[in-house]
Amino acid sequence: MEETSSNGICEELIFSSFFKSNVKSLRNYLYFKFGNEEKANDATQEAFIKLWENCKKVPLEKAKSYLYTIANNTSLNEIAHQKVVLKYEQSNTGNDRTNLNPEFILEEEQFKQKLEKAIDKLTEAQRTAFLLNRIEGKKYHEIAIMLNISVKAVEKRIHGALVTLRSEIEQFK
Amino acid sequence: MKATEENYNLAKWLAGELSEKELLAFQQSDEYATYVKIAAYSSELKVPDFDADLLYQNTIKHKKAAPKVIPFYQSKWMRIAAIFVVMLGLSFTLRTTITSTEVAENGQKTTFSLPDNSQIVLNSGSEIKYKKWNWDNNRKLDLEGEAYFKVAHGKKFQVNTILGTVAVLGTQFNVKARKNRFDVTCYEGRVKVNYNNLEVIITKGTTVTFDKEYYDRQDIKSTKPEWTTNEVIFKKEKLQTIIDELQRQYGCEIVLNAEENNQLFSGTLPSNNIKTALGILTSTFHLKISKFDNKKIVLEDF
Repeated sequence: MEETSSNGICEELIFSSFFKSNVKSLRNYLYFKFGNEEKANDATQEAFIKLWENCKKVPLEKAKSYLYTIANNTSLNEIAHQKVVLKYEQSNTGNDRTNLNPEFILEEEQFKQKLEKAIDKLTEAQRTAFLLNRIEGKKYHEIAIMLNISVKAVEKRIHGALVTLRSEIEQFK
Repeated sequence: MKATEENYNLAKWLAGELSEKELLAFQQSDEYATYVKIAAYSSELKVPDFDADLLYQNTIKHKKAAPKVIPFYQSKWMRIAAIFVVMLGLSFTLRTTITSTEVAENGQKTTFSLPDNSQIVLNSGSEIKYKKWNWDNNRKLDLEGEAYFKVAHGKKFQVNTILGTVAVLGTQFNVKARKNRFDVTCYEGRVKVNYNNLEVIITKGTTVTFDKEYYDRQDIKSTKPEWTTNEVIFKKEKLQTIIDELQRQYGCEIVLNAEENNQLFSGTLPSNNIKTALGILTSTFHLKISKFDNKKIVLEDF
């Protein structure tokens, strides 16, 4: 991390590169949390606007935690809105697996659907932590910083998520 | 696989943090296959794409559209400071431009200074009005009654009364304007007196008196007005005028139940001893005191 003057983030170049390296993580985090694209995008936009407006008060090294603090505060206001709808995108595995038998492919599809439904059953906390790890590839300590909780708490959520997912999936058998 | 609340082994497994022994034990369990599938397929999940560039443009644009930088003059403290300054200015302006009034009630004398340190002693029952603003260049005041002035040197100093005007350039003088009678006494320097169309210049130790058509000029010996040392001097004055003056000096009511007496009185009466003053007056005009209390005195023919 570079040592910068306190209003380094006000430089458009610096802000732009900060934006690029953080926008995806923040937006997807909020998407996992809300399960709603529009809300996630809006909240992401809001957080960056607040950072941009207050760039003079936020040193670059604190910008990230500032961003997530703003985002988490927005989340609190938005939380009661609606039931989470998380979409499952088809992965591009078709080509690799053309040689597999159709029975396996069908089974695979069924499992994916079960998983999708099971994810819906997770609590918001479990879902957010789990998907940040699985989809965004975030390490537990990174998730802990984003959510402003301890690593132990992240592990608890991941563990709980896995237990719930398995029991949900096995119910469908 | 035993998942105790304290050891979140599933989480550890997912992060690849299990020890070999723990991993082997886990792999033997029934659930293992399902967990492997969950881990594998969940990582294939995709997030719907979004337009990061649009978000960026909106963010940058937002600042330009509505800069949150509060201008200096709009900050809360600046507003408070500005209001304070305006109030201060306003009160200063009002204090200097509005007319200042000094009053000496009956039975009282008031001494005060003007902005240029000129001294004024107001005799009982008198009033002076003047403006503090630009006083040094505009030394004018309005007098009702009688006052003694010690004027500091400077530009023309003017005293306006309903009877006439007195103009000086740094001196000591007394002005008395009561009813129709206008007395000006000069104790130092030169004083120019305007009364109707008359213009008279008097010098140190001179007093002039105007009374309707009557004009008199006399020399005096005192160096300051007798009334400032608790005496009242009368020169050829009517009884009623003397009674009026005594009423002002003592702040009481004096009623005269006597026939008209045109005798004129010249002399000095004390203004701090009413019994002596009334004693002199009654013996001169052949009167007697028929009633005497704190607020009211009645005089009758002897």
